[in-house]
Amino acid sequence: MSKRRNKPPRFADRFLSWFCKDELLEEVKGDLQEFYVEDRKLRSRWRADISYWYNVLHFLRPFAFKRKQQNSNTTIMYRSYFKYAWRGMRKHKAHTFLNLMSLSVGLASFIFIFIYIKGELSYDKFHEDSDRVHRVVIDLLESDGKVLPDATTPPALAYALKNDLPEVEATVRLFPNWGNKFLIGATEDKKFYEEGMIRTDSTFFEVFSFPFLHGDPSNALDAPDKMVITRSAALKYFNKENAIGETLTIYGQENQVKRISGVIEDVPINSHFKFDFLSRLDFGNIDQNWGFWNFYTYVKLGKGSGLEEFQSKLAPFYKTARPEQERYAPIYAQRLTDIHLTSNLKWELEANGSKDNIYIFGALALFVLLISCINYLNLTVADSLRRLKEVGVRKVFGAHKKSLISQFLIEALVTVLIAVIAGGILAEVLFKNLGDVLGREVSILQIENLKVFAGIAFIGLLFGIMAGLYPALHMSSFKVSNAVKGVVGSQGRSAKGLRKTLLVVQFAISTFMIVGTLVVFKQLKHVQNIDLGFSSEQVLVIENAQVTGNQKTFKSELAKLPNVSGVGASSGIVGGLNWTTTLGYPDGVLLNFVITEPEFIDVMDFEFVAGRNFSREFATDASGTNIIVNEQGLKELGLTLEDVGKSVPMSIQNDTIQNGVILGVVKDFHFANFKSEIKPFGFYFRDRTEGNLGVKFSTTNLTETLAQIESVWYEVANGAPFEHYFLDENFATLNAQESKLSSILLYLTALAVFIAFMGMFAMANMTIKDRLKEIAIRKVLGASVSGVSKMITQRFLILVLLANAIAIPLAYYMMQQWLEGFAYRTNIGFMMFVLALASTLGVAWITVGYQSMRAAIINPIKNLRQD
Amino acid sequence: MKKYQLGEFEEIVLLTVGVLYGEAYGVAIKEEIAKRQNRKVSVGALQSALRRMESKGFLNSEFGESTKMRGGKRKRYFKITALGKKALDYNMQSRVELWNQIPDVAFEFKLC
Repeated sequence: MSKRRNKPPRFADRFLSWFCKDELLEEVKGDLQEFYVEDRKLRSRWRADISYWYNVLHFLRPFAFKRKQQNSNTTIMYRSYFKYAWRGMRKHKAHTFLNLMSLSVGLASFIFIFIYIKGELSYDKFHEDSDRVHRVVIDLLESDGKVLPDATTPPALAYALKNDLPEVEATVRLFPNWGNKFLIGATEDKKFYEEGMIRTDSTFFEVFSFPFLHGDPSNALDAPDKMVITRSAALKYFNKENAIGETLTIYGQENQVKRISGVIEDVPINSHFKFDFLSRLDFGNIDQNWGFWNFYTYVKLGKGSGLEEFQSKLAPFYKTARPEQERYAPIYAQRLTDIHLTSNLKWELEANGSKDNIYIFGALALFVLLISCINYLNLTVADSLRRLKEVGVRKVFGAHKKSLISQFLIEALVTVLIAVIAGGILAEVLFKNLGDVLGREVSILQIENLKVFAGIAFIGLLFGIMAGLYPALHMSSFKVSNAVKGVVGSQGRSAKGLRKTLLVVQFAISTFMIVGTLVVFKQLKHVQNIDLGFSSEQVLVIENAQVTGNQKTFKSELAKLPNVSGVGASSGIVGGLNWTTTLGYPDGVLLNFVITEPEFIDVMDFEFVAGRNFSREFATDASGTNIIVNEQGLKELGLTLEDVGKSVPMSIQNDTIQNGVILGVVKDFHFANFKSEIKPFGFYFRDRTEGNLGVKFSTTNLTETLAQIESVWYEVANGAPFEHYFLDENFATLNAQESKLSSILLYLTALAVFIAFMGMFAMANMTIKDRLKEIAIRKVLGASVSGVSKMITQRFLILVLLANAIAIPLAYYMMQQWLEGFAYRTNIGFMMFVLALASTLGVAWITVGYQSMRAAIINPIKNLRQD
Repeated sequence: MKKYQLGEFEEIVLLTVGVLYGEAYGVAIKEEIAKRQNRKVSVGALQSALRRMESKGFLNSEFGESTKMRGGKRKRYFKITALGKKALDYNMQSRVELWNQIPDVAFEFKLC
């Protein structure tokens, strides 16, 4: 029994002998063995084993380690492998450069897109119970039965949900600023206009968890005069972080004084709503109000209740809560974490991301990475074939298979390591330059991004090992005699076949991306050139115009300026926020409208199809029943141009039909992005002060005009800041998703084509080098330069043609799908494919043709005299 | 001063080697410490302390007999050198001196 019984774990023993100094080993092993025997008398085998292991591992101390001899064989060999790698890289400078360049560019774009996508996917996940928080929305039901998706809900919803459904743990309502700016001040001379004001319930922090720097979330909003602000707001107003106990005044018709009860960390970029100030709702008792559709309702479900179950209860709940209704609009819940990417309702708190774009970017990043990996693989394999002789000679001098493999692996690792580092630096450059595309500051040095980088670097290194492994195993398995003679045999041919396939894949991807980019650009151009239906150029919008003491004098003062041709006030801006109402008899339609005055219609230059503009000469124009609509509005109201100017039934209120007059019809114009069709739009006229002023100006002396407008503003504005923007800029943001897509697309495509180009270049370079002798012999036998060059170029061109044949139909299909998403779309032209084909062929022809010409021109003697 | 520097653990090991006079090898030292100080010591910690003190010259060592129980491996016995003895003396001396320097009032505390 005793022998087996008293044997300590063998592996631990071997491990100890491996790292422990020889002079210590005997004694230590003895000690450990003695212990073990003692231990075994008292304890079970595995306990004793564990304590043996424990003692062995505790022996991992510097004093006990074997010292590697300076001139041990392994060390020297490894050092020489690095030397070979270095020498090899220097010897083939162009090849190394292309290889490193393509790999690092591919890695950089992959890192860039990966971090971008990760950011998009991380929305709202920072809330502690983000999986239990949902937004409840009710679509808008028009009287003709049309359903309009809509994110807003009436305030009574939250109240009813909390009371009627047991699984609802907490609810909260958000009321954002709705385009208003609040004048907030800490002292009389520290006032700013603020947009980031959200009014909410006391339960806000039960549902959302924004980390508190100061204050207590449980009672931060429990009184109507309490307010929570972000750190940057605290610093802005009080120059300190801890602003608890300070007060802020919200100026308005009645000034409100708020006590700061909490300071939170700035709202992270990946929150689907952002704010700087949180105060309580101040609309009186609105818990029974089902008509005030301006709130966002969030619920937190109790633990263990799922979304599906909750979802199924919502429709019945809505029916019992509002029994008086005839028809019910769809009511449903959205996961908090899904809102940013999938919701896309009307009136989102913040422009949503697009899941499609995520997929497109992801695919592109993979494409670019794939192309560069293929390049790397291709070049490595091709390179290794060239080094057959070297392998043979090494074998003759007694290199083991093992040492050859480690040599190749180390070379691969060195390359990949350099590429990974260069890729990281490049990605950082991309982040710095494309920050506005991402919409936020990103750096690879941020902790979470460093993690991503480390992960990608690790995978990159693994890939490098794999890519190195193929030639390593392949080459080391040749027979010495064949290797020295440079006979490649059948294996070499299969490698060449692989290289060709990879080249085709590369160029297919390039063609695909070129076509894709062309289509996106054409669509964007198409959209930009669509006639908006009014002129957005040369219109300056002044916001907060209601603060001017006397808007009439302000307007007339502005109109006197030499470069200003018109000034008109309006409640909203076309392409910005507008109100909606239901209009029409017998069936109502949803009408977007702004309240405005005749001058505003002039400033915007709407084109009248029929009827006339408002006029101050007719008092009835401003009565609120007379309206100017767009063509779509007229159509949906069920009226024709004949009805313009006549009194027609417009709406039904308290069972009486109200008549109104369509004063004029303007041509359809775009006031939303081009993914959606033109919707009904109307203008009402009220002779009163409005929030926005449209100013038409001429572009000559723009800065001077602006300065003049500003000085007029300061005369009348009681010290309020001058807030303005140009209308066409505002329009550009409506199609921001597409321009973002196109700029990233452009970069990536350029990279992909560039990498494929480098791959082709290197491949041609290598092929020609391999065939130098053949070319020389052909020339000796009378072949012409052009004939030789054609022979080589042809092969590559055939591969590129094949790639195009695969990619073009695919690209056509995919891009057609993408265009389906637009209401106003361009067509995919034949020319795009010609262009893609021509550019890839051209690139191939130039890279290969140039090199083959050079090879063909050389005096054949130079290549033949060596043997 | 520097030449007699002894860590707390080193001091215990050195004293134990002294206690075990002639019988001080790895296992014995470890067990003695476990018995007297009620303190678990890993072989690694012990060995590193022993080696460190050997290189400082406080200990010397020689191989002893091998036993079956040790799988035929020899023991290494440690002995305190004269320098080691001096270091111990010095250490005790300095402690005693410090001890004597404490004014009596420092001990006048009450547990209430």
